[in-house]
Amino acid sequence: MTRCSRLVAACVLAVLCAPHVALSHAALIEAETTQAIRLHAFYETGEPMAQAQVIIFAPDNPALVWGQGLTDLQGRFDFIPDAQMGRWSVQVRQAGHGAMAHVEMGTMDPVVITSAGGPQNWTQRAIMIALVAWGALGTALWAAGNRNRADASS
Amino acid sequence: MTRPFLAAAILAIAPVAATAQSLTLFASGEDLATEGFNSPKLTRDGWALEFTRILATFDHITAWQSDPPFMGDGPEIAGAALSIPGPFTVDLVNADDADRVALATVEATEGHYNALSWALVPATRGDAEGFSLIFEGVARKDGQEVAFTLRSTDAVMHACGEYMGDERKGFVTSGGAADLEITLHLDHLFGRADKGGDDEMNRDALGFDAFAAGGTHDFSLVGLHVGHVGEGHCHDTLL
Repeated sequence: MTRCSRLVAACVLAVLCAPHVALSHAALIEAETTQAIRLHAFYETGEPMAQAQVIIFAPDNPALVWGQGLTDLQGRFDFIPDAQMGRWSVQVRQAGHGAMAHVEMGTMDPVVITSAGGPQNWTQRAIMIALVAWGALGTALWAAGNRNRADASS
Repeated sequence: MTRPFLAAAILAIAPVAATAQSLTLFASGEDLATEGFNSPKLTRDGWALEFTRILATFDHITAWQSDPPFMGDGPEIAGAALSIPGPFTVDLVNADDADRVALATVEATEGHYNALSWALVPATRGDAEGFSLIFEGVARKDGQEVAFTLRSTDAVMHACGEYMGDERKGFVTSGGAADLEITLHLDHLFGRADKGGDDEMNRDALGFDAFAAGGTHDFSLVGLHVGHVGEGHCHDTLL
């Protein structure tokens, strides 16, 4: 191959590859506002369940994990349920103890079923899970909602 | 005449057996029962415990399909009930690879068994007669070694919500099988050195110093809340 032909080949190669390379590194961000559920998990003492494991089960297959993640330092966890109506179940587990909340999704605002009574004493390590927000939680959640559901946290 | 009758009977039963749905109930003392308390998971006062037997007797067992789900926050569970006739006395040390001992398998209707009520009761016969929970084993600390037998006569009823663990349990599907588990948290009895002295569990747990003389001792389950369903909580009542 002559020097000229090598140059032409290199130019052709660059033209063919450049768009692909550029696109593969593109950081495209779309933002939208969506309805999301924010839960707050805390012990009966009021201490937040920080960095606790959260596991979510959807109504259509309640035996299968739909999504999971960790609470933040305040014990809060946000997730975006998909369009399924029915009972969403959320487990929060930490240090060998856990609690479950059920979120009823219907045509009205969601309703949370959680432990209504207090613990018998500390050994119950009662965990309260409260719905603290149902509404527009912004673009970060949109991004979370499009990640692999193995990590459904925001 | 006998053979055709038997063949007909088998054919009649076979479809039922093939499609029978079942629920199996296990009991577990977790790895603290099968492996004992070993460093760093010593008792709150620093003893290593090796159990040779942990005899537990369970009775008054009912699996429930509750809706709304029972949350373990009171003594009464409402819903469709599936009774599991007992009593069962089992050795929690002699468990399977998952630290579980099977109590019973019963036919079950489809649905999600999301609550479980059960009682620790004194056994009425056998080695555990008169006692609901017996620990036998050897404790070691600072070169000291003592053989012990710890016994409780307490009867405690438990009303538990949904099992909580690495998988969600209790879903009986058409022709399928499911399981539930009674779980005893032994660290609520003996405490855990790796949790630190300020841990609330360690403030109430019995530890082992009180039994350090060895031999046989009686203990009370009152206020210790040993009974769980996996990591899920139970409301307990002394009977």
